[in-house]
Amino acid sequence: MECQEYIDEYLAAHADGELSPDQRRAVGVHLGGCAICRARLIEERSLKALVRQNAGIVKVPADVRLRIRAALGDAAEAELAAPSDPARRPERADRDAAARRPLFARDAAQMRQPMLWAPIGLAATILVIVAISAGLGSRGTRAPGAATVPAFDAAIGKYLADERNFVPNVPAEAFANDDGSVYAWVENRDSVQRISTEASDVFNDVARSYREANMPDDIFNFAEAGYQISGGRIDHMADGSPVTYTLYAGDAGTILSICFRDSSMAAPIGAINWLGMRSFYAYKGYSICLSFYPTGHYVSILVSRMPADQMIRDVAMADVGVIGH
Amino acid sequence: MTVKRVRSGEKRLDFERVALPHLNAVYTAALRLARNPADAEDLLQETVLRAFRFFHQFTEGTNCRAWLLTILYNNFRNSYRRGTREQPAASSEEFDRELELRSALADQSRINPEDLLSGRMIGHRIEVALSALSAEFREALLLVDVQDLSYQEVADLLEVPLGTIKSRVSRGRALMREALRGIERAHGKTGT
Repeated sequence: MECQEYIDEYLAAHADGELSPDQRRAVGVHLGGCAICRARLIEERSLKALVRQNAGIVKVPADVRLRIRAALGDAAEAELAAPSDPARRPERADRDAAARRPLFARDAAQMRQPMLWAPIGLAATILVIVAISAGLGSRGTRAPGAATVPAFDAAIGKYLADERNFVPNVPAEAFANDDGSVYAWVENRDSVQRISTEASDVFNDVARSYREANMPDDIFNFAEAGYQISGGRIDHMADGSPVTYTLYAGDAGTILSICFRDSSMAAPIGAINWLGMRSFYAYKGYSICLSFYPTGHYVSILVSRMPADQMIRDVAMADVGVIGH
Repeated sequence: MTVKRVRSGEKRLDFERVALPHLNAVYTAALRLARNPADAEDLLQETVLRAFRFFHQFTEGTNCRAWLLTILYNNFRNSYRRGTREQPAASSEEFDRELELRSALADQSRINPEDLLSGRMIGHRIEVALSALSAEFREALLLVDVQDLSYQEVADLLEVPLGTIKSRVSRGRALMREALRGIERAHGKTGT
């Protein structure tokens, strides 16, 4: 093999790892005795690396990522409503088997998966508070114009994930049993715990399970606004503290309520009492209601696609119907 | 309803695990094709949704990035045929410089402050040299060097023979080298 033949025919493919075994052997023989072509190969690989490094990958903007995830959720839901390929529908037997599978067994598997919400927590709450103090204008219903609130982004990400694939571990189905007993799955207890022999009531059973996990049980009642509880979920944040997720669904859409403890929360300096604070935001196409419960150091974030003014009305109605302490 | 949601979640979770790690790569290619961020974002979303719809046709273990890019290119060609997108402007230097800047910003955590100036200069020269190539050579080089596709995958993507890709990459790099030497000489003369 001559130098010119190597350069014209094999150099680029050699640098790209595209040579056949026979070609590799042939160029190996040539390069073994040709320092010039060895240098050319090094130069070719350097150029490849430079192009890769300097004309490299561009990151997708965060808001575009969110939009795509939402569209993906819509597409998944649409497929369920009208499967385009009947051959790919789950077999009836599979569906029945899945339906018979104990719900808490599925939950246990789910609990081992990393939590989307895990990275936020106390620090996120602080960020929220900073954003509020820095960005709230006189209108009080908008998040800071161009600012990004990481806690809100995380909440929206969780909402988008849960809206489509919510796996409750304190759902209505877990409570009714053949013998008429009512069961709940409670974290750090036996996987199934009998809590009542009365007929199951989703709202009260979810509230009761939260209470068992030492979390606020005064969950929103959006029944008047047309939303029913789909289920509740008790999880843990990265620092091990509990967090509850309550999903509501109605004809108008869904609402996700996220509640977690923030022990760093403190009343404003000089205040003799703090009854809490509730604020509403229109943020990246979503409506968010942020509530502080100073008594137990809890933070609640509601996320929905509904317009902000509708969320304000619905929360006001839910406040009337809320189960008190 | 719960069971249906879980099943829906299985496909979506699989898709997110396999396909979404390539989102940045697909977006980069979409930017190069559409030449403006808004169209690139739409193109990206169309591609992801189409890929999700036909995810059952993807063979796990094969190159998912190549599969996604094939869908991207097909979407792009079809949108031109339908006339829903305008052809990008022939002159692209400004946009290429913007891309270079975005890429550098995305990668800024790996740039040492002392390397920043020289790094920018190298980046600029690479972009200038790439811009000097014809679109065919530039596309082949970027798909091989940046997107890590094999020659065969690029040939399938662009619907041209394998030998054509081999030739475009080889010739493209040779032209790049010449262009870079020219730029170096020009900078040497002006002392920058």
